[in-house]
Amino acid sequence: MKRWVIDHLASVALVLVAFAVLFAITRKEETPATSQQRELIAPYLSLKALDAADPLHRALLTETFSVFYPDSPERADTLLRALDANREEQFTTLALKTGVESPGLTWAKAARLAPMYLNFLLVYVIVLALTYYGAHTAGVYRFVRMKQRRDPPLREFRRRLSSALADRSGRGRAKQLLSALPHLGAALLKGVAYALLFAPSYVIAYSFKTNIETDSYLVMVLLAVISNGLLVSYANKFTTLLVHESRKGYVETAMVKNLHSSYAWNRPEGISVSAVLSFRKRFPSHVFGHVYSNAHFQYIRTVKEQAAFVVTGLVIIEMALNIQNHLCYELLQTVLYKDYAVAAAIIFAIFLAVKGTEIGVDGWFRHEAKKYDYPVDGQ
Amino acid sequence: MRRLLRYDDGLWGTFWIAGMGVLLAWDLAFLNAPAFARLVEALANTLFGATLAVLFTLLFGWAAGVGGYLFEQHKRRLPSLALSYFMNLIRSIPQMIGILGGYIVLTILIEREILQSQLVQLLWMSFTISVFTFPELADVIRERIEYYRRSDFFDAMLCSGVRESRIINFDILWKNSIAHIAQKLVSTFAMAIFLQCSIDFIISVGLSTDVSLTNFPVTLGGMLATMDSKQDILAISMLFEEIGYWPNLLFRHLQGVSAAFSLVFTLVCMYRVSNGLIRRHNL
Repeated sequence: MKRWVIDHLASVALVLVAFAVLFAITRKEETPATSQQRELIAPYLSLKALDAADPLHRALLTETFSVFYPDSPERADTLLRALDANREEQFTTLALKTGVESPGLTWAKAARLAPMYLNFLLVYVIVLALTYYGAHTAGVYRFVRMKQRRDPPLREFRRRLSSALADRSGRGRAKQLLSALPHLGAALLKGVAYALLFAPSYVIAYSFKTNIETDSYLVMVLLAVISNGLLVSYANKFTTLLVHESRKGYVETAMVKNLHSSYAWNRPEGISVSAVLSFRKRFPSHVFGHVYSNAHFQYIRTVKEQAAFVVTGLVIIEMALNIQNHLCYELLQTVLYKDYAVAAAIIFAIFLAVKGTEIGVDGWFRHEAKKYDYPVDGQ
Repeated sequence: MRRLLRYDDGLWGTFWIAGMGVLLAWDLAFLNAPAFARLVEALANTLFGATLAVLFTLLFGWAAGVGGYLFEQHKRRLPSLALSYFMNLIRSIPQMIGILGGYIVLTILIEREILQSQLVQLLWMSFTISVFTFPELADVIRERIEYYRRSDFFDAMLCSGVRESRIINFDILWKNSIAHIAQKLVSTFAMAIFLQCSIDFIISVGLSTDVSLTNFPVTLGGMLATMDSKQDILAISMLFEEIGYWPNLLFRHLQGVSAAFSLVFTLVCMYRVSNGLIRRHNL
């Protein structure tokens, strides 16, 4: 087996050991304390007349204890605390509720969680693929717009507005102002789009909640792709890579060799919109083809980071929107009911998904590096 | 002032301050006093928490970046391997899962009455967030050191008797990489705000019956999670049915709309500031 795969597997093993140790510690800690507490409160729980929630009963109990046990004044407080903890347990401990499974990781629970995990993986893969495509497409689009030297709509609006104000004839001024308005509209639309792209998913979901079903898979995928700044951040990363590549010397050499270098849309020597929109983007006979290939190669390793962020987005969506029967909602519930064994198992399963992606991405990077004779790990 | 506004980073930074100023002035005029006080507290806690996260990130990122380089240069295989292993492990843990883990520990500490001060709770949250944000800064620092290590001036300075640590910390990082580091820290600031608000919003679902939004320091996320604010945000969807409803958002639903606006506006502005720095310094 190759060294990089062993490295990944070793970290999986390390996390597994860490979870096992943590699990063992929390189990050890919980059992004696709980049984001790139960022994302490057992005689008092059988007293029908005692209501530990009633302030009068609590005061009476404290006074009685101070008369019977004057040497240990803390005894009443300890008992009351134990009674309170027991009362809280009645509400929060899953084991004490009717119609639910006992705490701990059982086969039945694992079988119930398995389809949720598969659904999570499916949504994760779709979102990862869509954001990968979206980041590349938006990145290329922004780069081409940059090369076309087009001003952003707000700057264009400002330019037209100042020239309208400088125009002395009333008709010319009105004409200039009219021509500026679409740019203002475009700037406003861009502002709304940015707000949407950067808004956390729960803000968007609540803003649309009366109009959409937030627990449908389509909405989940859509939210995960467009919200939380995911798409825009990675599109920006890809644009930065394209800009860096376009400054390298080979670009000018390629232009000298008569490769197309125009960035006009849909011209024979320019960039076609269909090429930008396609999943496998190819720009034959254009200098941008080489810029794109090199930027794409450098981006491959960023997919690992992107994968972790996709999971972050999905966790936020499922937990914040209370999407029941989904893995991350279950995770939150298990944490609430202190069922840490199941919580650890869910977290480990999510970690495995990210690790699997990392192994895949490293393999892909090495495969691509071979094509370009690019040295990997100093080889 | 003109110099500040000439570049996108300065322009958007100023725009953010002005925008938040206008929002607070509007809220002061039209939002009820208790809600306004809560909003100001939430905003202050969010910004303070994010600033702390940035400081922790700077500290850990700098230490890991420089430490990683020095370990490798001085053939300290074990610490070098341990550090890179640890950082790779952190990269594999989705931030939200890791931070949720940090919050579980925090709720346990609060339940056991070990951690009561709100300042210490904020410090804990920021520390947890920075654990998952520092590897990116460490990468940038490492990359900058490697870049200058290949240039002649590094060896020339070493020959002149300048200490290696001074060349790295002062000449490379402070004098020649401050724009790179600043850009990364601005992104970290935005990321810290996003993560902190998201986890606070999630906690509204409930991590513990003892620990709730009432005894956590309130942030914009926590404020958005309150029933009033959720109703206010839900009211935005009314615009799809009745476009003329929008003035109500600016008066009747001000609490939730203000919290959501400050969060989204800050994220957009920080993104633009970070982008502006990239463009201005050709990073």
